[in-house]
Amino acid sequence: MSNARGGPRIPAPVAQTSPLWRWIYLRDLLLELIVRDMKLRYERSLLGVLWAIVNPLAQLMVFVIVFKHVIRLEIPNYALYVFSGVLVWNWTSEALLQAANAITSNRDLIRQPGFPLALLPIVSLATPLFDLLVALPILVLFVVFGGGEITLHLLALPLVIGLQFLFLQGLGYLVASAQVLFRDTSHLLRVGLMLGFYLTPVFYDVQNVPASFRVLYLLNPMAHLLKAYRSIIIQGELPDLVSLSVLALVSALLFWIGRRVFERASHHFVEEL
Amino acid sequence: MTSAVTVLKLGKCFRRYRTNRPRSIKESIFRGLRGMQPLDTFWALRNIDFEVDRGRILGIIGHNGAGKSTLLRMVGGIGRPDEGCIEVHGRTTGLLDLGAGFHPDLSGRENLYVNGIVAGLTRAEVHERFEAIVEFAELSKAIDSPLRTYSQGMRQRLGFAVATHTDPDVLLIDEMLAVGDQRFNRKCLDRIAQFRDAGCAIILVSHGLVAVRELCDEAIQLRQGEIVDRGPAEDVVLEYEKEGGS
Repeated sequence: MSNARGGPRIPAPVAQTSPLWRWIYLRDLLLELIVRDMKLRYERSLLGVLWAIVNPLAQLMVFVIVFKHVIRLEIPNYALYVFSGVLVWNWTSEALLQAANAITSNRDLIRQPGFPLALLPIVSLATPLFDLLVALPILVLFVVFGGGEITLHLLALPLVIGLQFLFLQGLGYLVASAQVLFRDTSHLLRVGLMLGFYLTPVFYDVQNVPASFRVLYLLNPMAHLLKAYRSIIIQGELPDLVSLSVLALVSALLFWIGRRVFERASHHFVEEL
Repeated sequence: MTSAVTVLKLGKCFRRYRTNRPRSIKESIFRGLRGMQPLDTFWALRNIDFEVDRGRILGIIGHNGAGKSTLLRMVGGIGRPDEGCIEVHGRTTGLLDLGAGFHPDLSGRENLYVNGIVAGLTRAEVHERFEAIVEFAELSKAIDSPLRTYSQGMRQRLGFAVATHTDPDVLLIDEMLAVGDQRFNRKCLDRIAQFRDAGCAIILVSHGLVAVRELCDEAIQLRQGEIVDRGPAEDVVLEYEKEGGS
């Protein structure tokens, strides 16, 4: 690091090209862009960050009324079950929708010499993650008041969040690149997410699904992620490590593909915008 | 020691598409992949060679569409050459699109931080220079007001001030000399001269022939993507004027 403590501003030019400087720079840039997004999202609204909680609570209410009182699904701890589902799913859907516009809505940044484009999709994923993190304590409170137990297994939660992040990054890079070439990617994505919402056990249980279809759910990464979240938070158990390991492998592969596609496409971003 | 900027046999090929080239999957399916093929290609830049040493200013002049801005962007690493190569040593700052990342709802202070980091400084570096930037932009009173309350001139001043407090080794300037009123404009020109004296290599694209003559050591003239004239700035500008360039 620079030892510029004495002088007011002597950032040695050598230091600025050092890997450490670069690392600090990328971290600062990432944080700054995330904070900017967050401010724009909440600063001028009356409830501000509370929207991160109000929104999923409203969804929760609808599901509880419909599926506990109108159509009865016999799922224990239904409110908790749905709330965790909604939070996790909302992160995925918000993140991907924003990632799709990560390049196309940041023309001015892309035209900046030396701007690291690969940060932009990550920023899109991180902002809605914040919503999840804000609402998680509420979820934990639900568990406590519902008579559940807070166990040490909760410590496994960051691991699952990290895994979902990796999974979303791969997809995020793909949709961000695709959107530059085909502007209807985001519409397509909306349809895909809508279908995905119903094909993922967000508000129902896989046990409600006819046995012959159940195997399809094994192919749905979001179903595995949700299951892992729920075992940790609701059942207070360790998640299924086999399914998570497979998911980690798939996500890593997806990430690698996404990055490569993005790298290749990024040379044309300026021309296409 | 090598030059700060070396451009060798640079060529950039643009593909011209049908104006109604499919931008959506629906269209491309309807018309088959034929619509995706470029109609023809043309060279936006061809056989461009030049060097800029530290402490020198190179001017680029030419008519609209001659390829000046494309060339400047490519030196900044935006877009990839189809031929030849560009070598740039050191940190590059562009006065290309001032105020990248500005948002009207954020205060001048917040925008300054975002913009400074986007321009290539760490947060700590922006923090150190904060006072100097605000002072240069002459915005001490308004710095905590939202940017939407700023006039066009105030925004430009802020953008210029941030960009010119990044101590670059290579500075790329595109038509950005008309910032603010005449007095502030003078200040900008002085600032650029300071960079040159500090050993910064500068490339200046401008229609303002006076600025090119006054500031630049050398100049090149582009026409349809090729260099048609090069030499001392004075001579190149004179020649250009004789031909009836603006």
